[in-house]
Amino acid sequence: MTEEEAFEFVKNTLKEERITPYHKNEIEIVHSVEGCINCGLCINHCPVVAAVGVDRFTGPRSIAVELSRSPPEFWSTADKIYLCTGCGTCREVCPKNVNVPEVVNLVRARIFEHRPDLVPKGLHMVREIIVEHNLAFEPWEDPEEKVESRDVRLERLDIPYTEDIIKKNAEVLFYPGCQAEERAQEVREAAKVVLNYFDVDYTLLDDMSCCGLPSALMGDDETSQRLAGLLKEKVAGLGVKKVVTTCAGCTSNISDISLQDQWSIPVYHMVEYLAEEVGLDRLKQALGSSKEFSEVTVTVHDPCHLIRHTSRRTMQDAIEILKVISGVKVAISEAEDSCCGGGGLVAYHSKDVADSVVQENLISIDKTGAERLVAPCPLCTAQIEANLFKSGSSVEVDDLMVFIAQRLPKK
Amino acid sequence: MAGLAAGTIAAENGLETLMLRTGQSATAYSSGAIDIIGYPPEGLALKEYLPDTEVPFKTPSDGLRAILTLFPFHPYGIIGFGADDDKVVESVIAHVKESISWLKERLAGSCAALIGGFERNIYPITVLGTTKPTCLIQETMWSETLNANPDNVLIFAGFRGHAEFNALSTTRAYLENQLRTGKPPHKVGHCVLEISPFGKPYNISSIELARHFDHDGSMVDLAAAIKKHVDQLGATHVAIPPVLGIEQALQNKAELQKELGVEVFELVALPPSVPGFRLQRAMDRTFKNAGGTLLIGHQARSAIFKNDMIESVVAQSPRREVTISPKTVILASGKFIGGGLEADENGIRETVLDLMPVTTNLHPAEEVRPVYHTNVFSLSPDGHAVLGAGLAVDMDFRPIDADGVERAKNLFCAGSILAKYNYSLEKSGLGVALSTGLAAGRNAARMAKEVS
Repeated sequence: MTEEEAFEFVKNTLKEERITPYHKNEIEIVHSVEGCINCGLCINHCPVVAAVGVDRFTGPRSIAVELSRSPPEFWSTADKIYLCTGCGTCREVCPKNVNVPEVVNLVRARIFEHRPDLVPKGLHMVREIIVEHNLAFEPWEDPEEKVESRDVRLERLDIPYTEDIIKKNAEVLFYPGCQAEERAQEVREAAKVVLNYFDVDYTLLDDMSCCGLPSALMGDDETSQRLAGLLKEKVAGLGVKKVVTTCAGCTSNISDISLQDQWSIPVYHMVEYLAEEVGLDRLKQALGSSKEFSEVTVTVHDPCHLIRHTSRRTMQDAIEILKVISGVKVAISEAEDSCCGGGGLVAYHSKDVADSVVQENLISIDKTGAERLVAPCPLCTAQIEANLFKSGSSVEVDDLMVFIAQRLPKK
Repeated sequence: MAGLAAGTIAAENGLETLMLRTGQSATAYSSGAIDIIGYPPEGLALKEYLPDTEVPFKTPSDGLRAILTLFPFHPYGIIGFGADDDKVVESVIAHVKESISWLKERLAGSCAALIGGFERNIYPITVLGTTKPTCLIQETMWSETLNANPDNVLIFAGFRGHAEFNALSTTRAYLENQLRTGKPPHKVGHCVLEISPFGKPYNISSIELARHFDHDGSMVDLAAAIKKHVDQLGATHVAIPPVLGIEQALQNKAELQKELGVEVFELVALPPSVPGFRLQRAMDRTFKNAGGTLLIGHQARSAIFKNDMIESVVAQSPRREVTISPKTVILASGKFIGGGLEADENGIRETVLDLMPVTTNLHPAEEVRPVYHTNVFSLSPDGHAVLGAGLAVDMDFRPIDADGVERAKNLFCAGSILAKYNYSLEKSGLGVALSTGLAAGRNAARMAKEVS
């Protein structure tokens, strides 16, 4: 038997045993598990454990020391592994840098490949939409209705509509993400208003497509990689020098894929772009003297994909931006290890878990005494807004871009 | 602890202070008690050199005097290096005393409020039924009268399904110890309570119980569950694992005592414990209230040195890199758990700035195989010498190289990254961290002011 034949033989044996060999870029993740000292610090901080207990969700330690160590039996973890919101708290507190969120994705990918029957039905439905439309949300059937919905939102929020700009060789690609493209359209429009105000040379995609994060989270690596490749092509075709997005998940995912696929251009969340490229002085000039709005106490929600998957500096930027807005007082929430519950696609199949996770946040928001909550992520905004409404809270919720766009002087 | 103490004192001195941290510090692993010194550094074998000193040390003062006599290069000794020869001991004692007062003052009213003092070591009971010498414990762990009366009756109360504490085995171990020493209480019982945060009597973790007891009204059920056992045994004291709450533990203790009419206190737990979690949280708040900025999720990776000074520090988050240009830097990256030191078959390394580590005997450790610095018995009164490895420093807590020259004039270090201190053996962990943290923080603040 030649070496090649032997390799093929082993590969087929593995297939029969339902084992997928680790890819090159997964090896480091797998090795990180070896560092686990089984201390259990992650359990103290996991927001899902805090919400539903270790009996329902066995927690990150269990994922590291038990669930990740038997590839042929990955399928047996299906009742636990899909409950992880991927918030990244465990990785952050881990003294040995065990990359549990990526281990979760790796296990989910194996289950998806070998036992798709165990993948929650809600995720299969999302997958169908992604495969068909290249978007994480089903597009509006009637484009006119989409426009109507957008206009109603903009009118209610008093945000002007500006025409989409699509051109080659702009400085910046503004990538709104699926949620702002199809659902929270006001975020997309608000970001355009902000970019226009500060004379940023930007373009949108002529045909919006998902960055691939939802597919990666459900374990559909093939679709995830296809979408990442598609986006790379579009970005390269446009000839932009920077990518700016308003979605926390897109920020971390595009930062990641741009590095892996060597896009060679920086990726920013909008708050980073405003703080670093536009500058607090210009923001203060624009937002610091308006008398149009009454004074308001605002608290912020920290999206996991920004603080734990990208950098906590993003939220320092967000707070600095809020502080320069006239009449805005910032009250910091003491929610530690918080998560909106909307991550990891948990809400698509275990809404009770997602809603339990967000409860910790609601208590802390209430304690701040703030009248309004802002979040630099449309997904977190929607999840928290829905739960605050259900709880009968009077706190209003806005995406940060909407909050800023409303307060910019009309040009 | 060392970083937070150093950062807080620097911020209190009016400096703009930024703390970089990956996630939680080793403080979160601790029992939540502040040990100053319990045993001599090189194990019980050294008792022959200290015939007049009772081991474990009865008071921190006894311990410090013994250490400074036998081990002048212990981090406690370095605190006194600037003093006149005949005043070294007194200056170290004064500094440690002041550090304790400083910490107690900062944490008063917090979820980790402390009790105890420099006058004597106290011996709280652990979840294993043993006792350990320490200086400060959280108020929830304090029992005023447990050992005062031979007729006292103690109950260890556990929770069904809580695998981290077994009330029966703790009772047995504790009773055995009491019989051996003849100290009260002599009557000890145990009970298992049916309290379940999520409705199932299995797979319950300490943190779940603590979070559950933070909710209003949770003490009513707990008091009712304990009361029948208290009445049955005629108990005067109730010991429970440290799960009385994260934010509400002290109030819960008071409420339970009121409802039951007996003294209730928490035991000292193994790491990572809920009291350690409380202490970390309270210290973080102290630092922020002093005006410090905490940047979690960023790991310092390297620094740029220029003209004997650190010009900038490079830190990495999951998907960003930041460069900070401070006037002074305090390295409090911990030992093997904190990640400040790494060891493998090739030797021991300092992970952030590639400084020269030394063994507990102050020899260069870069090519030392850790296995030769461990004891054949994992649990030995002589401990493991490898845990005494770390950085050698000058009298200002600046790390030095093999020639005794400081690596950078504006670089200081504190806590368990320091060499010649074996905290698990000495029972001196958070005490050294606190004392050296404050000393290094003050030195760094003074230098930052001089530079500007």
